[in-house]
Amino acid sequence: MKRIMVDAQNCKGCKNCSIACMQSHRKDNPGGFHSLDLADPANESRNLILLNGNDEYKPLFCRHCAQPECVKACMSGAMEKDSKTGYVRHNAAKCASCFMCVMSCPYGVIKPDRATNSYIVKCDFCQQDGDDPCCVKACRSGAIYVKEVQQ
Amino acid sequence: MKFSCSSCTSADKKMECFVADLSVETSFHRVESQEVKCGFGAQGVCCRLCSNGPCRITPNSPRGICGANSDQIVVRNFLRAVAAGSGCYIHVVENTARNLKNTAQAKGQLKGLAALERLANILGIGGDDAYQKAINIADAILADLYKPAFEPMELVEKLAYAPRYKRWEELGILPHGAKSEVFNGVVKTSTNLNSDPVEMLLHCLRLGISTGLYGLQLTNFLNDILLGEPEIRMAPVGLRVINPDYINIMITGHQHSIFAHLQDMLTQPDVVEKAKAAGAKGFKLVGCTCVGQDLQLRGAHYTEVFDGHAGNNYISEAVLATGGIDAVLSEFNCTLPGIETVCDQLQIKQICLDSIAKKANAQLMQFDFAQRDKISNDIIDAIIDAYKTRRGNIKMNLLPDHGNDQTLTGVSETSLKSFLGDTWQPLIELIAAGQIKGLAGVVGCSNLTAGGHDVLTVELTKELIAKDILVLSAGCSSGGIENCGLMMPEAAELAGPKLKAVCKQLGIPPVLNFGPCLAIGRLEIVAAEVAEALGVDIPQLPLVVSAPQWLEEQALADGAFALALGLPLHLGLPPFITGSNVAVQVLCEDMKSLTGGQVLINADAAESAKMLDEIIIQKRKALNLPTEA
Amino acid sequence: MKHVIIGAGAAGIAAAETIRRLRSNDEIVIISADDAVHSRCMLHNFISGERDEKGISHISDEFFVKNNIRWVSGKAVEGIDTANKLVRITGGAEPYDKLLIATGAESICLPHAQSLNAENIFGLRHLRDAKAIREYAKQAKNIIIIGAGLVGMDAAYALSQIGKKPVIIDRAEQILALNLDPYAANMYMQKFEKAGCSFVLGREINQVNENAGKVDSITLNFGQKLPCDMLVMAIGSSPSIGFLAGSDIACNGGITVDKYLATNINDIYAAGDVTGLSGIWPNAVKQGETAASNMCGQPATYDDTFAEKNTMNYFGIPSISLGKVMPGSGDTVQVRKDKDKYQKIILNGGQVVGVVLQGNIAHSGFWLQLVKNEIDISKANKSVFNLSFADFYGVKEDGEYMWVL
Repeated sequence: MKRIMVDAQNCKGCKNCSIACMQSHRKDNPGGFHSLDLADPANESRNLILLNGNDEYKPLFCRHCAQPECVKACMSGAMEKDSKTGYVRHNAAKCASCFMCVMSCPYGVIKPDRATNSYIVKCDFCQQDGDDPCCVKACRSGAIYVKEVQQ
Repeated sequence: MKFSCSSCTSADKKMECFVADLSVETSFHRVESQEVKCGFGAQGVCCRLCSNGPCRITPNSPRGICGANSDQIVVRNFLRAVAAGSGCYIHVVENTARNLKNTAQAKGQLKGLAALERLANILGIGGDDAYQKAINIADAILADLYKPAFEPMELVEKLAYAPRYKRWEELGILPHGAKSEVFNGVVKTSTNLNSDPVEMLLHCLRLGISTGLYGLQLTNFLNDILLGEPEIRMAPVGLRVINPDYINIMITGHQHSIFAHLQDMLTQPDVVEKAKAAGAKGFKLVGCTCVGQDLQLRGAHYTEVFDGHAGNNYISEAVLATGGIDAVLSEFNCTLPGIETVCDQLQIKQICLDSIAKKANAQLMQFDFAQRDKISNDIIDAIIDAYKTRRGNIKMNLLPDHGNDQTLTGVSETSLKSFLGDTWQPLIELIAAGQIKGLAGVVGCSNLTAGGHDVLTVELTKELIAKDILVLSAGCSSGGIENCGLMMPEAAELAGPKLKAVCKQLGIPPVLNFGPCLAIGRLEIVAAEVAEALGVDIPQLPLVVSAPQWLEEQALADGAFALALGLPLHLGLPPFITGSNVAVQVLCEDMKSLTGGQVLINADAAESAKMLDEIIIQKRKALNLPTEA
Repeated sequence: MKHVIIGAGAAGIAAAETIRRLRSNDEIVIISADDAVHSRCMLHNFISGERDEKGISHISDEFFVKNNIRWVSGKAVEGIDTANKLVRITGGAEPYDKLLIATGAESICLPHAQSLNAENIFGLRHLRDAKAIREYAKQAKNIIIIGAGLVGMDAAYALSQIGKKPVIIDRAEQILALNLDPYAANMYMQKFEKAGCSFVLGREINQVNENAGKVDSITLNFGQKLPCDMLVMAIGSSPSIGFLAGSDIACNGGITVDKYLATNINDIYAAGDVTGLSGIWPNAVKQGETAASNMCGQPATYDDTFAEKNTMNYFGIPSISLGKVMPGSGDTVQVRKDKDKYQKIILNGGQVVGVVLQGNIAHSGFWLQLVKNEIDISKANKSVFNLSFADFYGVKEDGEYMWVL
């Protein structure tokens, strides 16, 4: 499967990845990223950059894990690992918003949607594009890139 | 159960916990969500000067599309910031000079006639009477400010310490018209103009000189003439100064002279009667940010209306959140946008007196000397209305045990010298004997990112005094240091044994409070006068400056002055320059041979203090003063 | 090889999926008393009308076809003939090579009411319970729910959403006492009260009064009597092992299993609530997967046994609780709260032993790892509230993250 690889040492904390993710998943009419409403919770990013105690950037991106804890924790069937692509997909319509998956993600990647607290906001590999995910295309510093990995 | 703060830490623990429990959002609360900073921005290598941008420098893209490299991008951004900061202070001195001139023309009260005489002597300006002298001084200053870019300012040589003036002349950095220097700074940094980082850094020094001599030193002089000179006394500080029995007006900004008329009106019997009719005992001004420090500094002249200084820039939201404030009068910067939502929630009237710093929520009542009676009356009526509407509706959340009652204030170049017996000799002797190892100006703002609110400022100050270095403070740094009790005589206990003995003998704290950031100009006068008494140049003095928690562009212009004076300048956080090797080399190394100054950047209090201490020891050695092993 | 699974809940379905992944040609049979696969965690959404029967299924429509699983639905198991490797069901028997018992649990009833045969007492474990409650609630006026734990509050939520005003009784002084501290519990209680629920807390039930085959009132201690025309029991559950009575499968409360989830009888495994190991969904799934792996001859052990974890989400306010909810001796507590967030962390030395998060639970998954793996956080060099995976950040060769301790 393809995975977004992370090289934290290259991260500059610019959040280009987050803006690209917001643009890719924006809920309003698509347009150039200049029209992206950065303050609208409906446009929130699936990835984020954390700092450790030494102020080093640590990018947090869904791993689409081989053994996805979020899927195992899902009692509605909304969270599924696609056996073909390897991506962990979330079906917002099925989600019962119990948030067991939020609790179970060992890295704290996934979260309830900020606007309604009723479904999960997570990486979908920008599947509508087919190309590399938007965050990877937007990264200027080489901190994230796509690689084919064995599962 | 221990309630930890959902907000950033503060050196002031009472404040930290007070803010954490507030139901209004403050700057403290927003720190966490802004924790991850863009590394390109932090290093100053993001350029938005043209539509090809933003361009950012990486190993794979070492130049912007136009070809600008990291040095050019960084230094352009830096000069823009210094020019803007200088512009702020030049605006302040311009308004202050106009206010002095208008007051003198109207034969209004000049409370600091001794200061007038001193300044007249320094500048060599005469006049038939005090009013005419004041008018002539104001005119000379305004004329200099308005000079074109090709004409040097005339008062620079009179204001500057002679050896410094000579050096500036050699370096070609004597400032021309102060406003024109700001203008040129902006023009040089526009798209595809100046690409010489060294030339632009020298321009920063030029802006530093006009900022320091005019924006800082002359503003102080003019305010002292108009509003009275600082007198050393004890005063209360912190949220305790808010007395809910009064109609309370929080003031923010940097232009004391704009408040001169209102300040006097508020104690007029008919105005006090209005307050009483509304159910209050009268009016009180509650100091916040630098203009609060200015009022505190001259507080001896109006004890009736000014209750004390509540805190620095990042305390303003907390001051409002006490519920005890009925109106905010703002006239300049350090008026945080964040106070607007707090004012909305707590029905606090916002009035802005200077359109340059118009706040979105505020009613603009532009100060106009000719209309001063009407404006002051309108302000008073608007505030009484706000008082009547909100009191009873809004819950009080006071913090009467915050701060202290015994902060030593009113220190200026004049009051301090007078305290020492009208001569710097006692101070020089204490320094020479090593009882005071050296002097450190801990100045500038407060920010929330160098360890937290006032954390580095207070920790560094503690480290310095423990090394027998006398600290002189001016700016929002003073607000933090005073609320943490280091300006009380009892703080002598925290000083090293020698400084402690000096403090105890003189009954002073180990940190002397010069007040607002404008008073950085006063510290520099002290430095020049002490250097003169010793017959040395300023860079030779065992004197260092630190702006540990510098915040704003204004602080960068101040810093440029310190560098022009040849002083070692410590900053807690880098001013968005580390992306440029040239900028770092010039500011941190080459500056030593240019002006004698240098920039040191370190966010750790102990390490920073050690670096500054070593510099002081070196300077003592060079002067053949005793140093400990 | 023929695998028979009894039960189509979290453990049974996870086991079937795992077997199919590991053995594409083996025969798989699921036998269940239910005739619709459903998630018991969504039964309240069914009662409230927010979801229909299909809406509370946690599998896709094609699940059985796609995985080539034969599903014997609506059949109760009557017993297991371990000697002949047969599962006896109503009107027949199903032979097995490997058997997984994943029958779940049943609601338990107050001792006072056990002897009653009243038509208006309900549990809430199965879809049939939810259907019965939904139907009976239509005409009920004085609904009482006994137990203010997760099931009780689910029932209260559901009934409040269809215009009922249930009274919830619990002997604890707060609701959700096993899952939340009083502060977080009170936040929910206010919302429930606003939705029409009322609470009788810190009280014991003295008597359940019956009249003409129906409960008509409840007598509390100190003699207070509450009218009742519908009673929902939500005081807990016990493993569904009734059909094993007289069999040689060892039980001790639940079915006794080893770390491979094998019972004392060869080729028979148990997983999920029927083992009594843990009552929560993610653990049941992992037990099902572990047992299935062993049934396929790939040895696996059930290691992720930590069960003091839960989430809830009432009225759009999500919460997570991990480990302790109240400090014990030697523990210290740190709390921070603001207008949309409550966070309480219980520490013991350098370890996080309890976490309650309410409101904003974004990106909070790492807390579970800190608590269950007893990770020392003292090295992290920051306030406990600023901790994140960044402080233990590692990346493996294949790009998966790993915890660096």
